[in-house]
Amino acid sequence: MNQLSRLLTTLSLAAREQHLVQLLELNERTAQFGLTLAPEDVRQLMAARSETLRHYGRLETGIEATKELIEAFAESPFINRDNYVSALHELQELFYHLKNETEDEIGDSRLIEIMRDCFDRECGGSLELLRDKMEEYAAAYRFEAMRERLDEGEDDE
Amino acid sequence: MNHGNALSLVSEGQRAGLLDQREAVRIQYEFLELLQELIGRYTQGESSSVSVDTAERLLASAVYAVDAHLKSLKAPGEAIAALKSADIRTLHAQGVERIRQVLEEVRRLYLEVRKNRLDVPVDAYNATIDEALPAFLKKYDILFDAHNTMASIDYPLAVDDMRLQGVFYIKQYLERLHIEDQFCRQWERDELIRLLENYGRVCRFDYRIELFNIFELVFHHALFSVLSGGDVRRILISPVQYARLEHLFIHADAAAVEAMIPRAVDGLLEQLPPQEPGTEDYLKQCCPDLVRRIVNAAEHRNLQAVIIADRQERVSPAVISLKPGGGMSDARLRRLLDDIGNSESTEDKVRLIRENFQSLHDYLDLLESGCLYGEEYEALYDAFGEMELAVLCKIVFREELRGGTAELADIIREREETEHEWQHQLIEYMKRQDDRRIRTVDEWIGRIDYEDISFY
Repeated sequence: MNQLSRLLTTLSLAAREQHLVQLLELNERTAQFGLTLAPEDVRQLMAARSETLRHYGRLETGIEATKELIEAFAESPFINRDNYVSALHELQELFYHLKNETEDEIGDSRLIEIMRDCFDRECGGSLELLRDKMEEYAAAYRFEAMRERLDEGEDDE
Repeated sequence: MNHGNALSLVSEGQRAGLLDQREAVRIQYEFLELLQELIGRYTQGESSSVSVDTAERLLASAVYAVDAHLKSLKAPGEAIAALKSADIRTLHAQGVERIRQVLEEVRRLYLEVRKNRLDVPVDAYNATIDEALPAFLKKYDILFDAHNTMASIDYPLAVDDMRLQGVFYIKQYLERLHIEDQFCRQWERDELIRLLENYGRVCRFDYRIELFNIFELVFHHALFSVLSGGDVRRILISPVQYARLEHLFIHADAAAVEAMIPRAVDGLLEQLPPQEPGTEDYLKQCCPDLVRRIVNAAEHRNLQAVIIADRQERVSPAVISLKPGGGMSDARLRRLLDDIGNSESTEDKVRLIRENFQSLHDYLDLLESGCLYGEEYEALYDAFGEMELAVLCKIVFREELRGGTAELADIIREREETEHEWQHQLIEYMKRQDDRRIRTVDEWIGRIDYEDISFY
């Protein structure tokens, strides 16, 4: 395997504990909505994240995106104690999928904001609907980006 | 800068006991921190993740920069000492600065090369100077893609080191191209162009669109000139000189040729004015290849492909009825194609064509328009002389004729696939011709220069 994965393998153990602590610290903020994660929840969420990143061919050295997802969706009226952990798993997977589908053109915060807005408004808290709507959004985004690129190409000529 | 890199140096250092485990992990961790920082800068802080491809590119770029600095340290062991004592971020910053300096040097070198370029109609050479190198200078990304050479350089050097990457490769390319061009500029342009034309004729290709090194051709022929007792200022080898060289090489064994060529280089350098720094070394590096070519060609009795003899007679395009350029207007062409299409007999069609079509360009428009059918092609080809058939064959069999060794009769026999109907009909027509006519066409092919029939 290449030098990048060797580097990451050497260092992933050290980072894992650090990530656990950072995510557990978020409980202090989400507790006001009655939502907290147990250490085991965090471990599973991190394991799922690693698998998702691997599956989508992405690399993330920190856990900023997961932290932002937790903070944004904990405020949603459609997230409660019963669906919190499973929703985070789904949202995390959808987020990285959308990063690829929008060709990294949309920043993390903006993408999470769009997801949260769509989830609360158009989808009425349905994760299934959110996935469909966001797929449509990503396709339209790619089409628009391609048209812009073609226009720019024509201008260059 | 060669292909070894800082990360492999860490592993090697560990194996050799120059770095301990703790130091190795510290260095690797610092590389990861550097990568994290680069991802942040790359996404302008908007994304904490990137595709693995992007991450690999950013890491390769970072390692390239660190290497750029480490390779600038001359004393042995200094690179390991730097890895032990300085943090990776500092080494990276120093490397980026070194790359920036080299890029400036590359810009200066490029201007020099452009100013002293050869005035030759060789597409790959011109496109490399006019398009590929400026594209590199415009696109090269010091921070995020420093290891990428990102230039589609088609023109081959006589001696190239493809192990180099990025700006260090381009620097070496320009330095060598400069040496090559300065060397070639010592001969008259007319002489050079004629050598190129002769080369294209012997190899049966259009030298303007082929990938080959001009310097090598000039250098070899300057040497041949010296070896055959000719004037060092001439690179055109006369038939008499050719005969002398042929005699010389055929009667020498490999060891003798091996001794003869470097001596001839010394003789050449003595007679030429002082050369650009590095030229002598460069010429010597080219010798082993030339020796192998000569020995091989002498053994197989085909030295004519290595020593390009100058031939005086040349077919003027004026005597060929298929003349390049000067085509008729589109409106007139359309009218004539309609008239041909409406003609009732094959004889009328052929007469209309022969009376109105002169330019090769127009002929190709006609042939590709599809206004002729089956036997009408045969009637038209029958009306052509061998020279005209040679021009068309040269177009249809362009690829097979390259290299100059294949016989037209064999090429015709083996060729099946074609792009256009007229080509298919021509092949079938040629297959029906007797050996004598095919040989005559083949001889014409060898005498018509591609530059006279290019029209696309």
